[in-house]
Amino acid sequence: MTEISNSFRSAHRVAPIAKGNKPVGLLLVVTPVLLVFWLIIYPIISAVISTIFIGDPDGNVGISFASYRFFFSDGYSLANLWLTLWTTIVCGALLLLIGLPIALYLRFSHGRLAGYVQALAIFPMFVPSVILAYALIRTIGPNGAVDLVLNALGLPKLPSPYLTPWGPVIGLVWDNLPLTVLMLTAGLSSISNSSVEAARDVGASPLRVFVSIILPRMGNSMLVTGSFAILGIFSAFTLPYMLGRASPETMGPFMQRTFSDLNDPRAALTQAVISFGFCLLFGLFYVRSIAKNRETRR
Amino acid sequence: MNRRQFLITSSAIAAGMALPGIARSAEAIDLYSGSDQNIIDFWTNIALPAFQKAHPELTVKVTDAGDNNGLRAIGDRALAALKSKSDPQADIFEAFNPRLPAGGIDAGLWVKLTGDNIEGFERINPLALDNGYSLPYRGSQVLLAYDTTKLDPKTAPKTWDQLVSWIKANPGQFIYNRPDKGGSGGNFVRRAIHEANGRDPAKFQVDNYSAEAADKMLAPAWKILNDLAPALYEKGAYTAGNTQSIQLLGQGVVAMVPVWSDQVLQAVSQGVLPETTGLVQLTDLALCGDFARMTVFSNGAHKEGALKLAAFMLTKEMQEAVITQLGGFPSISWQHLSDDLRKKYADVIPTSIPVFPAGDWEKAVNDGWYRNVAPSISRT
Repeated sequence: MTEISNSFRSAHRVAPIAKGNKPVGLLLVVTPVLLVFWLIIYPIISAVISTIFIGDPDGNVGISFASYRFFFSDGYSLANLWLTLWTTIVCGALLLLIGLPIALYLRFSHGRLAGYVQALAIFPMFVPSVILAYALIRTIGPNGAVDLVLNALGLPKLPSPYLTPWGPVIGLVWDNLPLTVLMLTAGLSSISNSSVEAARDVGASPLRVFVSIILPRMGNSMLVTGSFAILGIFSAFTLPYMLGRASPETMGPFMQRTFSDLNDPRAALTQAVISFGFCLLFGLFYVRSIAKNRETRR
Repeated sequence: MNRRQFLITSSAIAAGMALPGIARSAEAIDLYSGSDQNIIDFWTNIALPAFQKAHPELTVKVTDAGDNNGLRAIGDRALAALKSKSDPQADIFEAFNPRLPAGGIDAGLWVKLTGDNIEGFERINPLALDNGYSLPYRGSQVLLAYDTTKLDPKTAPKTWDQLVSWIKANPGQFIYNRPDKGGSGGNFVRRAIHEANGRDPAKFQVDNYSAEAADKMLAPAWKILNDLAPALYEKGAYTAGNTQSIQLLGQGVVAMVPVWSDQVLQAVSQGVLPETTGLVQLTDLALCGDFARMTVFSNGAHKEGALKLAAFMLTKEMQEAVITQLGGFPSISWQHLSDDLRKKYADVIPTSIPVFPAGDWEKAVNDGWYRNVAPSISRT
């Protein structure tokens, strides 16, 4: 993330110098832009079109919102959408709650222990989610490692989150923690040591430093982190599928099932467009805050 | 690692990952499988080395298509290739229903398999044959696996009614997986459907589906299953696949789950399930099962090799490996196998295996279950 924000800044700085090489610059940009158009923008447009313009058996094509009407009038589909939103928001909040203290610790402490903590916080990034899901069934699942430890200590068993809505929440938080911590740490690095020290010198308590010095400058990176986490979680498939309950299901497994089990591509596309709409909402937040931020920096 | 290094290595990795697709061997027979990992392991570790020995001039490439839908996509591609007379880049499917893609049989997509092009065709168990465009080579059936330390084999349920009363008398000790995510739970659901329709599997045919019939015939089954739900694990939780059900049985969380015969025998032999695992089949009407049937493309570049491979799977050596290594049923009649094997497995030799049609019925079962059975959870 630091790399990305640095490159934003440096691009700003070098822009006037590179005026003469404009074609080269444009050429460099052309590949990603074309890729985005081909792999993302075009499928979105085609999905929207094929769910709205529907041909009848005679070959006439008309505009119809029937599949959207069905989705928003079908209690089963709405329950799935609702569960997805719930999971996403709970996960996003938990990620910020857990990630922020770790990031603060990593920002302000040095030495070997901090290195270990960082390595540990990044570790989930290298564990594929299928493996994570089976491992979680073994640990927090019924009669899993946690239950064995509790039993050995003579404590009663805890109700297992496996196959309840909390199963995916625990898995997704674990899985997304590295990205959250990395992005928050990157955001924290923009807070200069001198400002923190200055506040301490005038006698500010750690809480005061956090509330008055750190938080105001963290707003943007928290928003970015939150939207990244939310976008990732909204479309999650493996963990809700493996750890969650059969019904209601989150949008990921629901779309897959509609598409391949029910052979109903149009309904699956409708679900995808609706999911995309929600993600767009979160994405707009992110883009707006970035734009605002650059405005003020200028 | 700085960004430059990162870009270089990541693009090298990406290029490396793209390579196998380009460097596809022109000479290998392309076999696609949509089955579980144990089947793919069986092919790569046992079947193919033996085939290599018998036919050193032929090589086989096994590709995991993920699931049946993956195979269907490749089947669609092959049908399109047939129309444009190009190479479908696929020769044989490990297990597939040739009724799909729609119109494939009429267009001549599949090789009709007979005694003329398959050596040993006459030894196939007539019970296993389907419509002539597919060649059965292994079978399996869904059974009930239970923990003998919690349930005495003498009192293990043998009929549907006994099973239902056992589940209700032991709340939280039974779980099955979502019917679309694995055949063990799927066929448990189908058994409930058979129960609700006079235990007559013949009432369900590929071509007699209609929405009205489905409403009428499936609704009583949803009632049976909803009635069971409060007595299941977590008052109505359903695992996401065959393997997870076995895992819960192995962890001692539940006392009984429906399982595939091949998967459970393998799990016991690998120690995933303890030796104290008992198996029982319902005697009033068995749970469904089926044979896995290979299909051969008529337009594949290695059709002859694929036919040899298909025939090779019917040899005594391979059919015995299906029993001993895979825990499946052989597709050739038992008199063609060795005597000790026949005696050892006398108990599990099926005389008939109830089946349930795929296609529209399957869709109706899966969607109906999700809408009618899955949500009725009361966790109070």
